Amino acid sequence: MASAAPTVSGKRKLCALLVEDNLLDAELVRHSLEHEGFEVDSDVVQTEAEFRARVTATPYDVVLADYNLPQWRGVEALDILRAEDLDIPVILVTGSLGDIAAVECIKRGVTDYVLKDHLTRLPASVSRALEETRYRQERARAENALKENQERLAGILASAMDAIVTVNEQGQIVLFNEAAELVFQCPASEAMGQPLHRFIPERFQAAHEEHVRKFTAGAATRRRMGKVETLVGLRANGAEFPMEASLSRVETQTGKLFTVILRDVTEQEALRRLRQRAEETLSKKAAELTRSNRDLEQFAYIASHDLQEPLRMVASYTQLLAERYRGKLDDNADKYIGYAVEGALRMQTLIQDLLAFSRVGRNGSEPKAVNANLAVHEALQNLRSTLDESRANVVCDNLPAVAVSRSQLVQLFQNLVGNAIKFHGAEPPQTRITAEKADTAWLFSVADNGIGIAPEHHDQIFMIFQRLHARAEYPGNGVGLAICKKIVEQHGGKIWVESDLGRGSTFRFTLPDCGSNQDGLEKT
Amino acid sequence: MTDREVNILLVEDNQDDIELTLHALRRENLANKIFIVRDGEEALDFLFCTGPYAQRAPELIPRLILLDLKLPKISGLEVLQRIKADPRTQSIPVVILTSSREESDLVNGYRLGVNSYIQKPVDFDQFRDTVKKMGLYWLVINQYPISNGDKKAEVRHGERSSNS
Amino acid sequence: MRRPAEILLVDDNPADVGLVCDALARTPYGSHLNTVSDGEEAMAYLRRASPFSEAVRPSFVMLDLNLPRRDGRGVLAELKSDAGLRTIPVVVFTTSGSLRDISRSYELGANCYLTKPGNLNDFVAAVQALEAFWVRYAALPD
Repeated sequence: MASAAPTVSGKRKLCALLVEDNLLDAELVRHSLEHEGFEVDSDVVQTEAEFRARVTATPYDVVLADYNLPQWRGVEALDILRAEDLDIPVILVTGSLGDIAAVECIKRGVTDYVLKDHLTRLPASVSRALEETRYRQERARAENALKENQERLAGILASAMDAIVTVNEQGQIVLFNEAAELVFQCPASEAMGQPLHRFIPERFQAAHEEHVRKFTAGAATRRRMGKVETLVGLRANGAEFPMEASLSRVETQTGKLFTVILRDVTEQEALRRLRQRAEETLSKKAAELTRSNRDLEQFAYIASHDLQEPLRMVASYTQLLAERYRGKLDDNADKYIGYAVEGALRMQTLIQDLLAFSRVGRNGSEPKAVNANLAVHEALQNLRSTLDESRANVVCDNLPAVAVSRSQLVQLFQNLVGNAIKFHGAEPPQTRITAEKADTAWLFSVADNGIGIAPEHHDQIFMIFQRLHARAEYPGNGVGLAICKKIVEQHGGKIWVESDLGRGSTFRFTLPDCGSNQDGLEKT
Repeated sequence: MTDREVNILLVEDNQDDIELTLHALRRENLANKIFIVRDGEEALDFLFCTGPYAQRAPELIPRLILLDLKLPKISGLEVLQRIKADPRTQSIPVVILTSSREESDLVNGYRLGVNSYIQKPVDFDQFRDTVKKMGLYWLVINQYPISNGDKKAEVRHGERSSNS
Repeated sequence: MRRPAEILLVDDNPADVGLVCDALARTPYGSHLNTVSDGEEAMAYLRRASPFSEAVRPSFVMLDLNLPRRDGRGVLAELKSDAGLRTIPVVVFTTSGSLRDISRSYELGANCYLTKPGNLNDFVAAVQALEAFWVRYAALPD
């Protein structure tokens, strides 16, 4: 052994612990080693206690122990070393040792024994012991590292979200992690050694084999499967499920190993289908809406012409009858004709109101920043004669600009103020228009001192053609507030009323602030 | 004023006629939202939002243009021609209000697409009566196609659907 | 006093023709009302084609839009693109209040656009105001 050969240039260091009661013998031992090229640094102990103290304090390369000591036998050093978990080779250096004792010592773990009268053998024995120890320790380290690696890998496999399955060249499963157990609903103990086919629906097996064959022949060692097309897996209970998978190949000494990493995408697939269905429904609805808008336009046109025409005939000619034949028939005839005229005229107004209602928002003009003060001003101008007649007083705060189409804003105020005046009480009508900021919107209020509205009617009044009063009492068709609601809601706002009978009404509505877009702001 | 809605654009250089016209319209409550320009160039600047009217909102289109024929800078007939040749303005009713008794002015006016042609009566009462009837006819009885941005947008909307 | 106006009324609804006739009979202008009931007849009348070879050139035309055979828009377009006829004022007089019809008519060169009121009195008043404006106040080429 190379290390045992004496070297001239570099001396090998050796830290040795001698268990020896004879100091001369100790010196001889040292001498024999130094003679063979060791640079010896040694301590000598005689008792068990000394030995224990020394050996735990200093990392010795070797223990050289006499077999026969007065208090204890050198071989007992082995027990101490084992107890202290120290891997130090022990060589017995002894005067005499019977064959039986020698065997016993070797069994107990002594590395070698050298008789004192053959000390020339010692250096070689020490060298060999050192070599063996080094080798053993390295191997232990390597084994430890391997074990650690395996544990880490096992941890990864066990905690992986994806199912990991490895098959050998014969197609038998050799690895089946916990996620695979869950996905395929099959314990690893059952899956191991089984063919992979067991987890592929029969109708896909041929395709799968072809896939693997190509992959085996190809140069690539990694490949993602089912990236475009979702694959189908088979659970132990016979249920199928969609999955995504990637395949890798490793060449080992025992052959090729194929590892499939796969994921159950049942939920994603379900979500995808749901989304797809939702999108289909949405586009169908959009098409329906477009069609119904077109129908509505068509209806509006028909109402404005084709319906009006015959109605006009009825109205005009019953009026002509009334005019030309008044008093010439009997009293009932005059009355009946009067009803017919009235009905036809009311029908005309209803159609016109319905048209006006359907027209809201179809004007298509982009909402831009409109100064609400100007809109109120214009609305009041349009209501001038009504305001004068009823001696109404309208007070208006300084109002903000809002992002609403101008003509619609005018109509909104006109309808609300018009209503406030129409439904006035005993007092001359008082109306107050205010606005306050509410987040990104403005909250407008139009408050009056009129007859008020019972709470149970608060929602009803915004519906088209809903009236709370007899026509003779308050004229109108019940379109104004429906139009207001449509205008406000088209701009993403809300409209409601706070009122009670005899306590006046406050109509409130929100409209979007024009934000930073001041470009279109009208100058006052 | 210029960015408000305008009902009538009065194109007239004679101050007396302006006063008389305003007086007659005012008695019928037709004089609010009236805007006066005093020559043909200013009329075109106003309508097409150019020159001193570059800041005017172009979608605010008058319901009626009252146009004199004898105007400084650009003549009334040329103004008429320009209005009727431009899709932005061609639908605005134009009424020529003139003292001209020339048959050629009359025929050329109608040929160029004027909506109606009125000879100013010399007699004051008749003039007032004429302006009043003209105002009522064009602003109350007649259906005008455009008045402001919203209406204009609806016009475009209507065109599209009528073509489809 | 000018000579009486010649009015061409293009309308297929005899009830409306009756009302117009009735309204005009009560004015002092003595206008002559000539009636045709569809677009083809209207163009034949204007071009003095058979059976209207004796037709008088109208002072102005009252034109309904929705007509059999050829509708009012077609009549309007042809009339206003004919150099000889385009100086004849055309008053669109129809039930439709649709903005689409109104703007289309102006684009085609209508001189003005009146909707037929649904109420008898308003109808009569509108016809009379129409006649008064075009006969009494507006100047018309011969």
